[in-house]
Amino acid sequence: MKKINILAVITWIVLILVNLPFLVIIPSSFTAAGFLSFPPEGFSWQWYTMILERPEFIDSLIFSLELAAVTAVLATILGTLAAMALHRYKFRGSGIINSLLLSPLTVPSLIIGISALLFFTKIGIAGTFTGLLLAHALISIPYVVRLVLTGLSTFDYTLEKAGFMLGANPLRVFWDITLPLLRPAIVSGMIFSFLTSFDNVTVSLFLVAPDTTTLPLAIFSYMQETLDPLVASISTVVILLSLVFIILLEKVYGLERLFGLNSQSH
Amino acid sequence: MNKRLPVLLLTAPSMIILLGVFLLPMLLMFLLSFENAQESFSFENYLLFVQDPFYVEILWRTIRVSLWTVLTTLVLAFPVAMYMAQATGKMRGIITMLILAPHLISVVIRNFGWVVVLGEGGWINQMLLSLGIIDEPLRLLYNELGVVIGLTDSFIAYMVLAIATSLYAIDPSLSKAASILGASRVRTFFTVTLPLCVPGIFAGVTLVFSLSMSAFVTPALMGGTSVKVLPVIAYEQIMSTLNWPLGAALAFLLLGSTILLVSAFTKIVETKRYKEVFAS
Repeated sequence: MKKINILAVITWIVLILVNLPFLVIIPSSFTAAGFLSFPPEGFSWQWYTMILERPEFIDSLIFSLELAAVTAVLATILGTLAAMALHRYKFRGSGIINSLLLSPLTVPSLIIGISALLFFTKIGIAGTFTGLLLAHALISIPYVVRLVLTGLSTFDYTLEKAGFMLGANPLRVFWDITLPLLRPAIVSGMIFSFLTSFDNVTVSLFLVAPDTTTLPLAIFSYMQETLDPLVASISTVVILLSLVFIILLEKVYGLERLFGLNSQSH
Repeated sequence: MNKRLPVLLLTAPSMIILLGVFLLPMLLMFLLSFENAQESFSFENYLLFVQDPFYVEILWRTIRVSLWTVLTTLVLAFPVAMYMAQATGKMRGIITMLILAPHLISVVIRNFGWVVVLGEGGWINQMLLSLGIIDEPLRLLYNELGVVIGLTDSFIAYMVLAIATSLYAIDPSLSKAASILGASRVRTFFTVTLPLCVPGIFAGVTLVFSLSMSAFVTPALMGGTSVKVLPVIAYEQIMSTLNWPLGAALAFLLLGSTILLVSAFTKIVETKRYKEVFAS
């Protein structure tokens, strides 16, 4: 019995440690002081009203949300189509396509970022929304493919056949039978793509320009110059936003299942 | 043929992105890494690694920081995974949620939290100073220690998952059999549980090592200018010095040395296991 208690104690210490950044950031964003301190001094909303006076954070927040939303839609549509085709029609060579589609997960983001910068500069889309969108879609599609392939592994094709026999056209079968059955996998693929894009730093780093900056990068560059409670308040906004999507993901699919898939790559 | 056509059509959009944003750019980057200042082909950028002690030191520092990260994640993650394997379904769910949720929030924000905790005027130093345990603030940040703390926080979830998955797969009747045969808890752990979760530990170690080697954000924010690891140097060559060929070469050297070290490790582990099998 004693051994289990030791394990429990270590487990909870680790759980507190990995959540410590948030336990520190959220309270210190409400400080009344002019500098960063923990525990915070007094209570005020001043650092939240300060965000409104900093257009770089507002603009990059809106830019990040737009980028993440478009990335999520694009990656989900493309990834779902690819996964469905790969699962339904197996032939010599489909395995190669499958592993190619998953390959961006095995290469460090640093290399993806640098190579995208070099190529995008050549074709003139470095520092544009399009460039960022393509790069974010590239790193999100593998997750969608994996999630949808997993969803398909338990898919019952006789249901589609039944639909055809009853006289439904292919589009109707797809819309009324296939899609609803795959919904959890597709929706979680979409949320995960959204978060992948919204959180990304290492790939975005090489592809942003002053007027196309994502929020994590705006925070990243601000942090390298100044450390004040403004970082805490803007971070709190991001934490709460991310939390909404994390809870959604947990409800739709379950984090354990999601990460069980992802634990072998990055 | 009529099977291939729909696959090719439906995978085409994804494949175009893959080719255009990933495979082709990587090929170009690889070719560029062999370009010297005169824009002709040479191994100059790669030879720098052998000739210039500066780059050797940077590589060694990157490896050292990664190894420390592997060690700390392993030591901290193992008890957590053990506890998860013993816990009931509901408890397991809560722990999983609490360890994975931070993972989905930007690393920039997590690092910022650690800066607030570990800084010279940070929470830990304030507490230790006011308790009179230390006279001067400890340097917990902007050195290798800070980077290892940040990386451990970033990657511990991977280690926990890898080990927990292998522990879940162990048949509980094996430990029961061991204890019926009179083995103590400690003995059961070392002769039954530990050997069976070696594949999980192995997966966690290689994954965390590879991730740490190529980490950029945490070393930049928690190591400052004093702990420049290889990804940071590569970034500077690309974005500040604008020496793209050298930056590209450094990134590939990073990838190459990571693959080399991971496969050497794999080889050692495998040989050892074969020896064990044949010895018994």
